[in-house]
Amino acid sequence: MKVCDICQKNESSITITRVDKDGKSTEMHLCSKCALEKGIGEAGKVKLSVLEILAELKDKIKDEDRRLVCPKCGIAFADFKRLGRLGCENCYNAFSERLLPLIKRIHGSSKHIGRRPTDGDKDAKIKLEAKRLRDELKYAIAAEDYEKAARIRDEIKKTEKEPSG
Amino acid sequence: MKLKIGKWLDNSGPENDVVLSTRIRFARNLKNIPFEIKASQADQISVLEMVGYALEDLDLLKTGKLLNSQDLTLLYTQYLLERHLVSPDFAGSKLRHALYVDDDETLSMMVNEEDHIRYQVIASGLDFAGSLNRIVEFDDKLESELDFAYSADLGFLTACPTNVGTGMRASVLIHLPGLVLTKEIEKVLRGVIQIGLAVRGLYGEGTETKGNFFQVSNQQSLGRSETEIIEILDKAVRQVIQYERKAREYLGQNVKLEIEDKVYRAEAILKSARIITSEETMNFLGILRLGVIMAMIAEVDLKTINELMIITKPANLQIFYNQEMEPNERDEKRASLIRNRLLNREKPNG
Repeated sequence: MKVCDICQKNESSITITRVDKDGKSTEMHLCSKCALEKGIGEAGKVKLSVLEILAELKDKIKDEDRRLVCPKCGIAFADFKRLGRLGCENCYNAFSERLLPLIKRIHGSSKHIGRRPTDGDKDAKIKLEAKRLRDELKYAIAAEDYEKAARIRDEIKKTEKEPSG
Repeated sequence: MKLKIGKWLDNSGPENDVVLSTRIRFARNLKNIPFEIKASQADQISVLEMVGYALEDLDLLKTGKLLNSQDLTLLYTQYLLERHLVSPDFAGSKLRHALYVDDDETLSMMVNEEDHIRYQVIASGLDFAGSLNRIVEFDDKLESELDFAYSADLGFLTACPTNVGTGMRASVLIHLPGLVLTKEIEKVLRGVIQIGLAVRGLYGEGTETKGNFFQVSNQQSLGRSETEIIEILDKAVRQVIQYERKAREYLGQNVKLEIEDKVYRAEAILKSARIITSEETMNFLGILRLGVIMAMIAEVDLKTINELMIITKPANLQIFYNQEMEPNERDEKRASLIRNRLLNREKPNG
């Protein structure tokens, strides 16, 4: 009986055969404890955990991954492979060709079913700006800087007039 | 600032002989603001302000508090981590972050973690449906104030594609001493993993399982609705509960003396030790919990054990006693706190 390839202690009970692209196969012997920790199912069936799928990406960074860049936030697909994180919501578009197969592999699906936001913008950013201006106005008045206060009041009027979509 | 002891520890929930708590979290990002790795200081501040204003507008600061970077010292963040209110990632992060926590410590929200916001509901026992209702209600409220990054195909967009879609992770903290002692645990957990669920230690990814506590959660967040995801989890967890109860029954019928010996030894150590580490504490409390459930110990209740599991942790202990302590001092104070609680010599007050 072989010893587990990972812990080198327990007797192995599971054998995994991996076949690479060139048809070369490698065998791995694991005890059930390590197999469990690695998220590997019963009798040779390989099932990688989500963490392992991400870990696997790190080892395979190619030149083309460095050239593929999100135009909005500037991160390269290689950065995503290294860090396991995207830089912005637009990365999902910019990298879609490469990301979708991965997403499918992780989730077994690439179509969202479930909760969705209500339609229409809540203008949180505009509201934030307005609140900031109102705070500034308060400070200006408290400091008796009426010139500044008048300027801020004009700005507030301007933002209120702008259409909010 | 001392928090009360979380209501989810009161052991009032369903199936609480096996399941300690149920947790559901939603991950969301604000539209048009870069994610964590690309967020500038100004972006981080924008997120904090927008979320702060939303909480204010929604009147949520009346039923909870928003802790900012100044409140979140190293020790205090550790304290929150031990209470399952922040993640290890949040604790280790250098971002300008904040934490919202409601008054009974069952609803909380991390701001500027891996995602802009992550909120969670935590409940006693096995209660996926109740937890989902509660978090959906909170999600609706926030969503009425904030624009979330979302795509019709991929759902809510998250910094890591492992969370995309519903942005939901649902989990239970489950106590499986019976399956560990009968050596059935690997088989059962393998079954759980095979249906696509994840099993982890007490504090999530990469943490150890101490005291025979495990965390079972969904791995996939896309392609199924929130309700479907919790139904799958609920079914699997109920199956594990049945196995665990059977294992305990087997132990009670066949090796009662050995179990009693383990339980009474654990009780004796907890009630008399003068120096005890955090790890020993978890292990003995785990056994004591089994003893209470198997009716071997009458004078200790599960609520006391649950609370001790939290307040004896290093940072909680220091905040409880209001003083910074070296590890050896902590081991001494911990032993005395446990003795007092188990011998009913001190009124609990979190």
